Amino acid sequence: MEASQSDNPNFNPNPTPIGNSLSSSVPLWPTIDGPLGLSEEDALSYARKFYKFGFALLPLLWAVNCFYFWPVLRHAHSFPRIRRYVVASAVGFSVFAALLCSWALTFAIGGERLFGPVWNELVMYNLADRLGLTGWS
Amino acid sequence: MAQNQRRTTVIDFVGEEIVRIIAPVSICMVLVVFLVSILNTSTNSSSSASISSVATTAYSETSSDSFWDKFVGALLNSLAFVALVTVATFVLVLLFYLRCTRFLKLYMGFSSFVVLGFLGGEISLLFIEDFSIPIDCITFFLALFNFAVVGVLAVFMSKMAIAVTQGYLILIGMLVAYWFTMLPEWTTWVLLVAMALYDLAAVLLPVGPLRLLVELAISRDEEIPALVYEARPVNHDQVDPRGDVTQRRRVENSILPSDSNPSVNSVLGETQNSGSSSNLDTMNAINRDLVSNTSDGIHEVSNLDRENPDLNSDPSTSDRNLVRAEEGRVLETDSELSEPLIGHELNVQVHREEDAVAGQSLTPEGIGLGSSGGIKLGLGDFIFYSVLVGRAVMYDYMAVYACYLATIGGLGITLMLLALYQRALPALPVSIMLGVSFYFLTRFLLESFVLQCSLNLLMF
Repeated sequence: MEASQSDNPNFNPNPTPIGNSLSSSVPLWPTIDGPLGLSEEDALSYARKFYKFGFALLPLLWAVNCFYFWPVLRHAHSFPRIRRYVVASAVGFSVFAALLCSWALTFAIGGERLFGPVWNELVMYNLADRLGLTGWS
Repeated sequence: MAQNQRRTTVIDFVGEEIVRIIAPVSICMVLVVFLVSILNTSTNSSSSASISSVATTAYSETSSDSFWDKFVGALLNSLAFVALVTVATFVLVLLFYLRCTRFLKLYMGFSSFVVLGFLGGEISLLFIEDFSIPIDCITFFLALFNFAVVGVLAVFMSKMAIAVTQGYLILIGMLVAYWFTMLPEWTTWVLLVAMALYDLAAVLLPVGPLRLLVELAISRDEEIPALVYEARPVNHDQVDPRGDVTQRRRVENSILPSDSNPSVNSVLGETQNSGSSSNLDTMNAINRDLVSNTSDGIHEVSNLDRENPDLNSDPSTSDRNLVRAEEGRVLETDSELSEPLIGHELNVQVHREEDAVAGQSLTPEGIGLGSSGGIKLGLGDFIFYSVLVGRAVMYDYMAVYACYLATIGGLGITLMLLALYQRALPALPVSIMLGVSFYFLTRFLLESFVLQCSLNLLMF
């Protein structure tokens, strides 16, 4: 065991990934999958498509966009063209999530006191019973 | 004291590959166990929602029937189901032969949407009702819509984030497996055994539909459009100095049989390729990417082979390895390697009052070697393993542990056979047979033994 250390004194125990060999602020690959993911040109079209489709009431798609292009988001000066869409997706997702969470929490915490009898119309388990959505057969 | 400069050995690579396929299978099984145990405690299992599907057409089980009646009924049910699956798989082979790949992909997307949207919606409604979660319908439908659409994109598009695709495949497997656990008990067990036998026949017999599908895919160098889980390929190159890697690779290559099927990569993986792609439309684009990405890698290997001929003293083995590298290069630059996969169609019947459409999902079974070196496992295998464990949960947790160990052991055996035979193999038979026998042994033998020992303060 100790011999293996003296075998190769230049052996770097933590080889840095190829992408970060020059400077840690410029990732080589725009996607979180690294070399298994997209190249930069494909990445631009994918980022743009995800951003545009997210407007169809799909904030989860915006979140996936941010997750997928996480290196772009993290390193402030990389891939400027892709970064525009990813930052816009992040902003869109945060805004939508904030609105949705506030509405859902208001609904859940306020309850009947706040909404009146409408609450019973809107709550999901009553609706499921009324429409018979959980009948399997 | 921690050794952080330990040289990685072949065990690390093989172990990493195996872990990357066993982990998602385990996660799927654990999720199904949670679902079944949480959702079935509140309702009486015998009177709970029993689904009507193809697998219950011949006979619907009641608890008052005799042993023989139940057994014959379950047998008829399973035969009906297996017959339907056979017909569906032959239709799939026919469509694939006629190159209706666009239709197949649309169908795959549609079935994923049905599973995620309707099945996922019903199961979350069960949760909401059980725990009285005060969520309103707007939020619920919006969340469900998002979940289903992003899921369809994840399995449909070839270039989504790998983690997202893998996560959604596991969720689809979990949802379908939960749905299957709602079949009556005898039918489930006989169905599992019947599916294992069917898988064996369909993949290994020369007339089996899955074998035909795989051979078609190989001969055309196309990939079957189907729901398949692909593990990430293990990254060999960046770990060690180059010499060690090629030497290891050469050693690994020489262990494999020399007359291996040229269309199959070694289990221990080769160069880094792009991730899983079940999208035939982007196949050509990926081919071009692959050519540029992997030709470098393969050139590296073959160059190093030439540069270090003295590492392998026997010239014949080094020639053979060079030939293998050449073979690999020719195949990979020609086209996307069609891994020997098994396509098997699973019939998912979702009955709702307003919706009588039968959703059929292309969930292949069987295990194969991905073109990028990562192991591929069909989603049908995930589903049936989880059904087995889910059924065990309905009895007792001891059975769950036994069945889990049996299934994982069977999967390990299948992986070893895969490395040995280098061809498409059915992943169901070994695991299901072990799992079913462990379940019945646990239920009838082990439990009474453990119970008596515990009661008499002997053990446990």
